[in-house]
Amino acid sequence: MAVRDIILYPDPILKTVCDAVETLDDSVKALIQDLVDTMVDAGHSVGVAAPQIGVTRRVVVVDVSKSKLGRDNNHGQLVMVNPAILEKEGCSTMREGCMSVPDYTGNVSRAERVVVQFLDREGVEKVIQASGFEAVAIQHELDHLDGFLFLDRVSSLKTDVFRRKK
Amino acid sequence: MLKKFPVHRIEDLIIAREDTMNHFALTIIGRDRPGIVAEVTEVLYQLGCNIADSSCTLLGGQFAMILIVSSQEIGGKEPFIDAFSAIEQGGLSVFVRMLKPGGELHPDLRGEICMISVYGSDKPGIVYRVTRELSTRRINITDLNTKLVGTKDRPVYVMMLEALLPEGQTEEDLRAIMAGLKDELQVDISVRSITPVEL
Repeated sequence: MAVRDIILYPDPILKTVCDAVETLDDSVKALIQDLVDTMVDAGHSVGVAAPQIGVTRRVVVVDVSKSKLGRDNNHGQLVMVNPAILEKEGCSTMREGCMSVPDYTGNVSRAERVVVQFLDREGVEKVIQASGFEAVAIQHELDHLDGFLFLDRVSSLKTDVFRRKK
Repeated sequence: MLKKFPVHRIEDLIIAREDTMNHFALTIIGRDRPGIVAEVTEVLYQLGCNIADSSCTLLGGQFAMILIVSSQEIGGKEPFIDAFSAIEQGGLSVFVRMLKPGGELHPDLRGEICMISVYGSDKPGIVYRVTRELSTRRINITDLNTKLVGTKDRPVYVMMLEALLPEGQTEEDLRAIMAGLKDELQVDISVRSITPVEL
């Protein structure tokens, strides 16, 4: 449908707790398509959350299958409506950046494995277990739905925050 | 000859304003105690300076501040020296340097970023030997810190550094270079990619 501009901090939309989707109507379907188009267009992106394109509804898309780190361990393109993390396990640290916070990165510790419940594109209830980079991407995108940025999660100082590779 | 350029957009105004900014590098160090940052930044605030990039940390018993500051009004380092004289009398050392235009801009760094951890019994030359290997291969160090830990009898040296690999050099190459040093220096060294992931 349409590639949308990525909303940049300090836009207050990024600090907003998003609303749950009540019915999977045409507006949600259009939103999903815009999220997928925007993710694909931003070649390097492995996920986009609805608030990043200016919509405060609980929808994200994640696809790590095209990235070096996620290539061998993924569920392909995930469309997640009203996602919720049911279980978390383990801990690993990765240096994250975000399209909505350009030129800044920081080390973030997140769960290594997560069990996530969500509605897929067709409104079917799904539960998956994700690990590795896919789990990190899911947690990062879901944070957006609650108004959290990776800046709220940086785990330690000193050599931690560094400008991202261009 | 003085030329006048028409200004149409707000972006042009911002750029025009940026152009007239002078940038300074400030280093301040002294015995640690609560209040150093507030005292230093109060002076900068009174001078009308903006703090851009900065890094401040505790090294041994000394608190060290490194800052890049900007000012539209100040054209040399003298006003800083005057303004900081009271702070210097209080025991902090202040060093100021005016940057050449463009010196405040972050270079466009591209490539894999690797973290190198080096640790082992303290001995002379650990930092020198590791960084010389990087230097001869044109590998740029973007961050480095060291710490002396362990006990007086058995001091342990820890160095963590971040390095940017130029095109054509890989994490494996770097690992091979460091493996050679490991034997020579009798220390433990590990290398891992910490290239950020964009989400």
